[in-house]
Amino acid sequence: MKIVAVIPAYNEETRIVSVIRAAFAFVSAVIVVDDGSVDRTAEVARDAGAIVLIHPENSGSGAATMTGVEAARHLKADIIVTLDADGQHDPKDIPAMLQPAMEERADIVFANRFGQRNRIPLVRRLANGMGNLITFVVTGRWVSDSQCGFKVFGPKAVAQLDLRMSGFEYCTEIVRESVQHHWHIIQIPTKVVYSEYTMAKGQSFANGIRTALKILLRSFLR
Amino acid sequence: MTLTPYQIVTPLVSLIAITYAWSLVFRRKKTLWEAVLWSLFWGMVAWFALQPDVVGYLAVVTGIQDRENAVVITFLGILFLLVFTLVIRIEELEQRQTRLVRQMALKDVGMEGKKKEEG
Repeated sequence: MKIVAVIPAYNEETRIVSVIRAAFAFVSAVIVVDDGSVDRTAEVARDAGAIVLIHPENSGSGAATMTGVEAARHLKADIIVTLDADGQHDPKDIPAMLQPAMEERADIVFANRFGQRNRIPLVRRLANGMGNLITFVVTGRWVSDSQCGFKVFGPKAVAQLDLRMSGFEYCTEIVRESVQHHWHIIQIPTKVVYSEYTMAKGQSFANGIRTALKILLRSFLR
Repeated sequence: MTLTPYQIVTPLVSLIAITYAWSLVFRRKKTLWEAVLWSLFWGMVAWFALQPDVVGYLAVVTGIQDRENAVVITFLGILFLLVFTLVIRIEELEQRQTRLVRQMALKDVGMEGKKKEEG
């Protein structure tokens, strides 16, 4: 089975190389989608051996993820792993995340940062809790860590995934896709490392509210 | 019970909207959950039309009891609709821009051609 990692990245020149190198231990190709970075993200990612696609304009993590998925389809990927570029996920969790998809027990595997003892700041716990709640109201499916960027898509999901949301709300859209296409889901507890860097890069509370409103609006527009 | 034209038209519109929502479910464009939410919303609209007393209760709760307030609320509703339409338009433009950006990114690494051959 061909496994490809997709990493959407925006101004991550200091972090992305270690993420790419760690991912290469478990996948056959790494695709980095540079989402309009103004630093050397694309250059350092290419030097690290990744296939780099460049968005000429910053379009959001959802848009970058879907570009990566399209590229992975061109590479005939059977399974896609999506990872955040800031290094908050432990690549050692990749094999455990891949297993259900490889054994065809799941079409999509969600990482669950709250499934094991992780030091997660309260603000992040609250924001993620709200994200989970909104996702549940909009999709009718409860996912313990719906807003996490670490996911594995099995062959069925790789073929069917079609993200239209550009920003952070794409995580909720993925849950919606799983309901729409009747994907089997499995959630795996994973490690997460929050640092000042990852905290600064993450969503603000105001951004979270905006995302919530967009999700609700989209659910009516469909 | 004598029904006013409004009380006949509104439930009919609601029925059409609900039917449309469920037809989207059968065409796999909407999820079951979304259709339920949509049905609840339009069901409520129809209910308000058929049971004006419910709106009377809302008038007491919200304080919108005189004609002037009703006019203001109506215009707020129209404004909301306008903003809603604009948001939809912006969303469409954003999606179009994203598709262009994606095509450019894929083309740069020679992946766009492959897609056409496959398609």
